[in-house]
Amino acid sequence: MISQFAVNAFIASSTYVLLGLGFALVYRAARFFHFAHGAVFASGPYLLLIFVQCAGVSWPASVVLSVACVCVLGCAMEVMAYGPIRRAHSSPIVLALASLGIYVVLQNVISLIFGDDTKSIRTGVVREGINVLGARITPIQITTICVSIVLVIGLALFLRYAKLGRAMRAVANDPELANLSGIDSDRVILWAFAIGSALAGIAGILVALDVDMTPTMGMNALMMGVVAVIIGGVSSIPGIALGALLLGMAQQFGVWWISSQWQDAIAFIILLVFLLFRPQGFMGRKVKKAVV
Amino acid sequence: MEYLLHILILIGIYIILSESLNLIAGYTGLLSIAHAAFYGVGAYVAALMALNLHTPFLVNIICAVIAAGAFGALVGIPSLRIRDDYFVIATFAFQVITFSVLNNWVSFTGGPMGLPGIPQPVIFGLQISSHVGFLILVGVLCALSLWVTHRVVRSPFGRVLMAIREDEVFAHAMGKNVARYKVMVFVIGAGIAAIAGAMYAYYISFIDPTSFTVTESIFIISIVIIGGAGSLWGPVVGAAVLVTLPEILRFVGMPSSVAANVRQILYGGLLVAFMMWRPQGFMGGYSFEKGGSEK
Repeated sequence: MISQFAVNAFIASSTYVLLGLGFALVYRAARFFHFAHGAVFASGPYLLLIFVQCAGVSWPASVVLSVACVCVLGCAMEVMAYGPIRRAHSSPIVLALASLGIYVVLQNVISLIFGDDTKSIRTGVVREGINVLGARITPIQITTICVSIVLVIGLALFLRYAKLGRAMRAVANDPELANLSGIDSDRVILWAFAIGSALAGIAGILVALDVDMTPTMGMNALMMGVVAVIIGGVSSIPGIALGALLLGMAQQFGVWWISSQWQDAIAFIILLVFLLFRPQGFMGRKVKKAVV
Repeated sequence: MEYLLHILILIGIYIILSESLNLIAGYTGLLSIAHAAFYGVGAYVAALMALNLHTPFLVNIICAVIAAGAFGALVGIPSLRIRDDYFVIATFAFQVITFSVLNNWVSFTGGPMGLPGIPQPVIFGLQISSHVGFLILVGVLCALSLWVTHRVVRSPFGRVLMAIREDEVFAHAMGKNVARYKVMVFVIGAGIAAIAGAMYAYYISFIDPTSFTVTESIFIISIVIIGGAGSLWGPVVGAAVLVTLPEILRFVGMPSSVAANVRQILYGGLLVAFMMWRPQGFMGGYSFEKGGSEK
């Protein structure tokens, strides 16, 4: 019982952390709430569906191709919409509104093409899963957990040691100072979109392999990522990972204690509590607050 | 003819909704994704009272306004501590929680099945049953909401709201109680939105949670932004255009399943286009940049 509870929480948090990290990467570099990140997340599995079922490409190649396409999608948003808007008006609210618009467009394009019903890319019979310490876990769930651990550690190392990763942190801290020291902040932001979108696409594919997909899956999943980011603090990778874990556990506890339909409400009540009492998250330091 | 009247009634309801959001977002600069929640609270309070207590129309609408106003105060409170995009997320949270309650508290709200059979409104012994009757009623309420907005904006109270939008610290330095003004504008905005909600419930005579989703909130925001936030006639133009435009799709012979998606693609696309080329909207008001209002 307890181990099943822990396993479920861990599976849920693995996707939250991937979405949260991608979102935080974009938020730190470009400084706005990238709502369309949710649509990027949902595009991943639908692209995979096209490659596997319509084009007949092999599985590994399809996964690589869909993640690449999702990267291009994220970058296209930056090049075609956010970039021009950022250069004309600096307000984060204007960018967030444009992002909401892009989200609405993409979500409806997906439902126009594929319909509103649930689509599946799972093949073969549904297996019961393996028994691990009294908890049931399917191979795809194990994959999800492993992939997300590897990516979290990889991203942390990248931001710490790689030249581009350090440039990203520099732009996040002070774009003007970064520009002065010869960093092209527009290029760094574009990379943040590419990497962030890839993380979202991978998360989307993993979720769809586990529980199928609908065109509206993006917004809800993204908001869970955002809750993890706000709980943990936008600038700290361990914080975001811990935030995702905490959220996953709180939700599983809610399912067990009350009922599964209140999962969203629980997540957003936690979010409100953090926004009101500790908006910088438990690992963060500073945040934009109302001045008065 | 019935069809034309139906469109006009819908435009009226959306004018009330977007004008009330305009007070919060356009004039005070507090962008909120919780407006469909206020709309929903208004609709549900009016409908539940009409169905269970059989109280008259005017009593129900007043109670709806009071309930939504109280809820508005609650949603306004985070604006005292967080700002800009963090505040947007806080209002998003209220929106999702409200939908969750409407959808899951089945014994009270009917859950996904909704509340059918809301009776026709009776005002001073006059039963309103025809489309014309509803149009007149909505028209009166619409004019009332425009008049209230106009009066609020022109009053000293309204000037403080705009001062908060332009420079919060300065408004505070002038000795204005910024916190009180922010909460007050949410109470007023949510109260007016509840009028639209109650009207919608009585007009359609059936409500369910799907009318009060995040998507609906984004639609109301689009009306305000595209029409022109911070201008009195902006939301009127926005509502007229965004409600009528998708109806054209119907005449082109597009099947309704496709039309629903195309309608959303249309306003999502318009929102992006306006943010890129005309963030102050069609009528030109406030563009969500500090000091970005046109004088």
